[in-house]
Amino acid sequence: MAEELEIEISPTGQVTVRTIGIKGAKCLDAAEFIARIVGHEQSRELTSEYYEAELQVQQHLNIRNRQSP
Amino acid sequence: MSTVLVITPLIIANWSVISAAVLGAVGTLGFTAVAEALHDDLHETRPTRTEIDIEDSEILEAAAGTDQQIVVERDGVRAVFSRDARGALRLCMEGKGHSKSQLQQIGEELIGRVTQQYVYHRVVTELQEKNKVIVSEEVSADRTVKIRVRNW
Repeated sequence: MAEELEIEISPTGQVTVRTIGIKGAKCLDAAEFIARIVGHEQSRELTSEYYEAELQVQQHLNIRNRQSP
Repeated sequence: MSTVLVITPLIIANWSVISAAVLGAVGTLGFTAVAEALHDDLHETRPTRTEIDIEDSEILEAAAGTDQQIVVERDGVRAVFSRDARGALRLCMEGKGHSKSQLQQIGEELIGRVTQQYVYHRVVTELQEKNKVIVSEEVSADRTVKIRVRNW
């Protein structure tokens, strides 16, 4: 899946940024890049894609810990 | 699934950038720029007047432009954009036969479009400078602009 940002600029100038296909903290970095250009953040919603990469790291650590004597 | 940020815009620019945003935006609401002196007939009787200060704005002080104003009109309603004493963008609305609340509503719509135009230009310029690829761009029926960007 392509990594994309969808930027909506409403007729009042309010901006909504959605990340698509970008996993982990990188998706927040991408959205915050736009926030820094436009103004100040009003709200944020972190959904499963954000936690996906961190979850994979955690699972990997758990497996390693189980394998350790 | 995604990360979603909602961002309130902040206008910080010099007068030439503000002018470009104003002139680019007002046409979408049927307003046209006028030379103020040509329309004195508007003032034969005292028009209703209201002023709107755009709080989230700062017009940077520059050698030229800070004392200037942009005047636009539509159907006897005049809107004057200028820089107030604090350096923020101010909009003065006036028109005969309109109530203050009507002028306020028209003024807020104008400010919205100007802000949208400013934000659009700012975002696209910055994306191009960072070599991001705009893969699609559309304007919906409610005038929301939607841009999709690749290359993150």
